[in-house]
Amino acid sequence: MQRIAHTIRDGVGFDVLLIAFALFYLFAFAGLPILYNVILSFQQVDMFSLGSLFHEITGWENYVAVFNDPLASRVFWNTIVFTAASVFFQFSIGFALALYFNQRFPGASWIRGLFLAGWVMPGLVVGVLWNWLLSGDFGVINWVLMSMGFIDEPIFWRSDTDYSLIAVILANVWYGVPFNMILLAVGLAAIPDDLYEAASLDGATTWQKFWTITLPMMRSTIGAVIALGIIFTLQQFDLFAAVTSGGPAGSSMVAQYWSWELSFRQFDFGRGAVIAVMMIVVVLGVAAIYVRSTRQETRL
Amino acid sequence: MKRLTLTTLASVLLCSTAFADDITLTMWTESSNAPESVFAQEFSDMDNGITIDVREVRFDDLVAETLRAFATGTNPDIIAIDNPDHAAFASRGAFLDLTPMIEMSDQIDIENYFDGPRSSLTWDDGVYGIPRASNTIALYYNKDMFRAAGLDPDSPPATWAEFYDAAKALTDPDNDVYGVAFSAKASEEGTFQFLPWAQMGGGSFDNINTDGAAEALDLWKRLFDEGLTSPDTLTRGQWDSTGTFNGGNAAMAISGPWELKRMAEDADFDWGVTLLPVREEGGPRASALGDFNLAVFANSENPEAAFQFLEYYDSQAERIWPEFTRMPSKIGVELAPTGDEKIDAAAPVFVEQLQYARNRGPHPEWPRISKAIQDGFQSALTGQAESKEALDQAAGAIERILN
Repeated sequence: MQRIAHTIRDGVGFDVLLIAFALFYLFAFAGLPILYNVILSFQQVDMFSLGSLFHEITGWENYVAVFNDPLASRVFWNTIVFTAASVFFQFSIGFALALYFNQRFPGASWIRGLFLAGWVMPGLVVGVLWNWLLSGDFGVINWVLMSMGFIDEPIFWRSDTDYSLIAVILANVWYGVPFNMILLAVGLAAIPDDLYEAASLDGATTWQKFWTITLPMMRSTIGAVIALGIIFTLQQFDLFAAVTSGGPAGSSMVAQYWSWELSFRQFDFGRGAVIAVMMIVVVLGVAAIYVRSTRQETRL
Repeated sequence: MKRLTLTTLASVLLCSTAFADDITLTMWTESSNAPESVFAQEFSDMDNGITIDVREVRFDDLVAETLRAFATGTNPDIIAIDNPDHAAFASRGAFLDLTPMIEMSDQIDIENYFDGPRSSLTWDDGVYGIPRASNTIALYYNKDMFRAAGLDPDSPPATWAEFYDAAKALTDPDNDVYGVAFSAKASEEGTFQFLPWAQMGGGSFDNINTDGAAEALDLWKRLFDEGLTSPDTLTRGQWDSTGTFNGGNAAMAISGPWELKRMAEDADFDWGVTLLPVREEGGPRASALGDFNLAVFANSENPEAAFQFLEYYDSQAERIWPEFTRMPSKIGVELAPTGDEKIDAAAPVFVEQLQYARNRGPHPEWPRISKAIQDGFQSALTGQAESKEALDQAAGAIERILN
């Protein structure tokens, strides 16, 4: 008895306790909901059977229905385009800004901090602001573009099927840049200055220093930032709700918004769950990359 | 001292028994300024031992939130619910069938309500609530702009052809004026606006692909193609669209009486309201029937008390127009003057339009039917399909839902 008490206080028992606690937490608050979601995706669940524990099991019917939906292929491509474009521009602009603020000019860290102001705003607020900015008739963005002579006719960002997805991407890039910049700036700050000094003494150009010191030293940070970027982008919901609602005619519909719409607008929880299951698979893959890239690092 | 304690004890006992007789009801609604919230406060202040706690739930979340609450048994006693959503709850036995109580009631007579609101809350011969109010859509128009464009402000467009011609004549891109503002949004608002046009073209929600409905959609499409309405009509709700009318950026607007108060304050021009234009002279009229119903949940512990509130609500029908600019659903209630000349001039138009207002449904799967209709008109308006083709697709989708 005393041995057990002892091992729990100071020994293997304590480790087991810690692990058990963490696993229990994960199982209860992440495992069970995910499992329940997978089960839902094989069931016929509507607004009134939601509360009951057992539902009619329909096998792969929901999956077939989702894949045969005329919207499915567009949603698939839109999700890829939205994610790829958002992450690409968030990362490149964020990296450029991080490098810029890494040049230690007066006030650099202050101004860099101010950039976070955009990121701390709630997504719905950002969405409503962009909704106004992108308005076709009275939008500021159209006014700027027209008065600078880039366009002759206003672009109906939210209502033109060719532009609606771009509209949300624009908003999302703006929203995500500060976060990318801050994480990358932390990575940059951790690169020892003497490496650059040594390279300068050897006559390396700025370009060479960037390719041979900055990028390799930043590899794990970059991996983590991109993985987080993909996960956050796949989670992006507020901007769609506020800017285009996935429209017009589904032209800016992405998986996460579609899942919500099926579940909470059409009350077809089974089909909503199907999309959620597929997104979980993708996110798990990305999360694996994230874990890998932070394995040797404790910086993030 | 002892006596004092006894008296205190007695009074405490008395108080607590009185307290036990008190009934507290809960009611969920979209707005604390809506008539049911105001009347609930008055009802609670009366000496009837019933208190109603009102909780405001955002309109967009009302159905989802209520479903969740119902699933877990934490739903309120009374709810104010948008009329197309009513059937889903009634058909599944979530709402209480009020027929026996209405039969006993001196106040509520279901025959006193207009057909549209009455059918929205009836399911399988049961009566599952009372209408809160009714609304419908009509055509607002800027009389000053009519005069400037050489149109007669006293004979606004009455047919689709006249409506198109007026929109064309009134559109003035140099001054940022569109011919007409309305909503073709992919939401219930879009269905609300499109369905009457389909119905005037001989269609209905279970027969959406008639030639007349396709003609209506063609007309909408022309408004977009020729720049007679803002492309943002596709993504804008009715309130925002009508805002552009109030601001002088649209010469006509299709919307309902809920706009009147704001328009009377914001619009600094001469405006009027007329019936929705029909397909051709003498053609069938139609309009949308909007607004909420009040229902009692089947699992309420105090259905009689809840019904008592519905009776009080029904007795206040005369106040619904002058105080809330909502239209009473009760037959024979005069719209008392509000004191605003333009609002009072609009009242009879909406009263007449309401006679032609038709229900959405009633059908328990209304949200999915509505979505099919939205997909139909949006795919035509964005040029992904011809109007007839788009409506055929919608009809196919609706057919699958209905069977």
